[in-house]
Amino acid sequence: MKADPRDVLTGTYYIDGDIAIAYGALAAGCKFLGGYPITPSTAAAEAFARKAPQVGARFIQIEDELGAIASVLGASWAGQKSMTITSGPGYSLMMENIGLGAATETPFVIVNIQRGGPSTGVPTSTGQADMMQSKWGSNGDYEVIALAPDSPQEGFDFTVKAFNLAERYRVPVMLMADECVGHMTEKVVIPDASEIELETRRFYKGKKEEYKPFKRDKSLVPPMVKAGDGYKLYITGLSHDESGHPILDKKLLPDLDKAGVTNKKSTNRFLVEKIRKNRDEIIELREENLEDADVIVVSYGIISRVAYRAVDMARREGLKVGMLRLITVWPFPEDRIAELAKRIKGFVVTEINYGQIVFEVDRCSHGKTNIILVPHGGGSVHDPDDIYDAIKKTATEKKRYQGVLEYTTSLERSVFGGSMAEKYGK
Amino acid sequence: MDKIIEALNKGIENAGVERRKVCLVTDIAYSPDVVDFLGIDLFHTSRGRAIPYATGMKLANPKLLPVVLIGDIATLGGNHFVHSCRRNMDIVVICVNDFVYREVAGETAPGDFSPISFSPYLSFEKPLNIPHMARSCGCVNVSRWTALHTDELANSISQALHRKGLSLIDVISSAPDLLEFYYKNSELRNDEDTLNVEIEKDRKIVVGNFFNEEKPSFIEAYNEQHTKILGDNFVKIEVE
Repeated sequence: MKADPRDVLTGTYYIDGDIAIAYGALAAGCKFLGGYPITPSTAAAEAFARKAPQVGARFIQIEDELGAIASVLGASWAGQKSMTITSGPGYSLMMENIGLGAATETPFVIVNIQRGGPSTGVPTSTGQADMMQSKWGSNGDYEVIALAPDSPQEGFDFTVKAFNLAERYRVPVMLMADECVGHMTEKVVIPDASEIELETRRFYKGKKEEYKPFKRDKSLVPPMVKAGDGYKLYITGLSHDESGHPILDKKLLPDLDKAGVTNKKSTNRFLVEKIRKNRDEIIELREENLEDADVIVVSYGIISRVAYRAVDMARREGLKVGMLRLITVWPFPEDRIAELAKRIKGFVVTEINYGQIVFEVDRCSHGKTNIILVPHGGGSVHDPDDIYDAIKKTATEKKRYQGVLEYTTSLERSVFGGSMAEKYGK
Repeated sequence: MDKIIEALNKGIENAGVERRKVCLVTDIAYSPDVVDFLGIDLFHTSRGRAIPYATGMKLANPKLLPVVLIGDIATLGGNHFVHSCRRNMDIVVICVNDFVYREVAGETAPGDFSPISFSPYLSFEKPLNIPHMARSCGCVNVSRWTALHTDELANSISQALHRKGLSLIDVISSAPDLLEFYYKNSELRNDEDTLNVEIEKDRKIVVGNFFNEEKPSFIEAYNEQHTKILGDNFVKIEVE
């Protein structure tokens, strides 16, 4: 389906990432935003709030993030595309109902404009340290999808993409932007509505009395209905069968693992299966110069722009460096990393944290190559020279190491002393 | 709990609203039979978050009639209740003041003062006056019944379903063996000042329709404000 022209603010703009994300949500047909203001995401909610009443979308500032996310789930079941926008501390508060959303297979989008953490952290500066929280933040087993934009333009594009993925897989989708992307002002082109492809929610078409909210076909994603349409829905965060009715009998539990995908009793297994089995369709990567690469830089979000510069510097010197940018961070491209690990000297992973995605890269490399982390505590982005140094060192390294090696950046050396060599290569 | 569901069924029937538009949003578990019995949708959400969940539903589809059935609003989710009263959100809140904690694990509940396992030496904390809390936060329709006041409760529910804004119905309920006790020890005092309806050990439980006032609901105020500023550029929330 094409986007509704009334929702799309077609034109060329000079706006920040927050605003671009809000416009992306409107273009995707989002009709509900329940939010609570938090720096550096506030401008996004503001932009949405300004336009919403004019296109029949609703914005409400709920009393806190716990409630904001709950309202988003309710709005989704009422039949509308819905979202919330937040940052670190608010994101933490939302974890409880992200779990409920995953368990009840409710489609919605959460935008996290990441800031420095932990806790209140650095509200006005950047960070990428909520990546693992996205995947593991709520209790129990479930899978989500997370995207990482690196510019205001991608803020717009990926928000549309996030809604499409949420609707297709009935899953919470996280748009993991950061303060830099949120507050950076750049050119953003919003295309004509006819050029924006939207995924529509798959509604159930069969007999009313036969409907089961969690009964699925081969795609593993069950069709949905709207609240109030007379389907006598029973939607609960308790473990449930395909009719939605809770399973509280302990005796049923051992059957769950044995039965696997074909399990008729509990739908828990499908919460992970529907994403894992469809991951080839979901995962999107940007790859450059991987064919001849000895070293591959892995990055995502804002830091990939810094990494591109470092890769460029290294290639000019004749170093065989490739770039692997994660568009979808979750689900993680396990197969691709494993494949590449077999034939390169090392991965250089850059992220604005002290090591999160790097451990995924390490896990998927199965010990076949060196893994070098170029960390950053947050507050700003890396100096490209640091990434360049790490690339160079990795390209010339003869020794094979076990586990992740941490490269000490020039910033950290200036604060804590020591030299790069001290830490690298122990 | 069965008694409340029975009253809810009656209330929906008497209200003459389209049954399927009623969505029961709860934060405590019920048996699935409730759905079939009432013929409505049931959303069993996380503890304390039923009110904002219902808020999202109402705003996304204003034709729905969310009825929130929650345990003790005085604890988890109390803040949601406070602010929903302030906004006069268009939902019905039935507080099942059933000391549910006691039935589950025996923790201290803010509405309770009896000896329970989390306070084996008797609870010394004062219970919360839920109708007064609602009233002081701006709730426009406040009533209280015990679970055995089936007809009165059903009346309050059907009236609330027709009202705009937030209605609070505080239902004194507990383990089945105590229902009769509560019912017998209640005293009807309509229009009583909510300050005087506190639950205290040696006093009767005051029940009745305490407060009823006309005030623009959230949706009415939303429409009015945006029409004033945006004029024809505003897409109204259509309730009917």
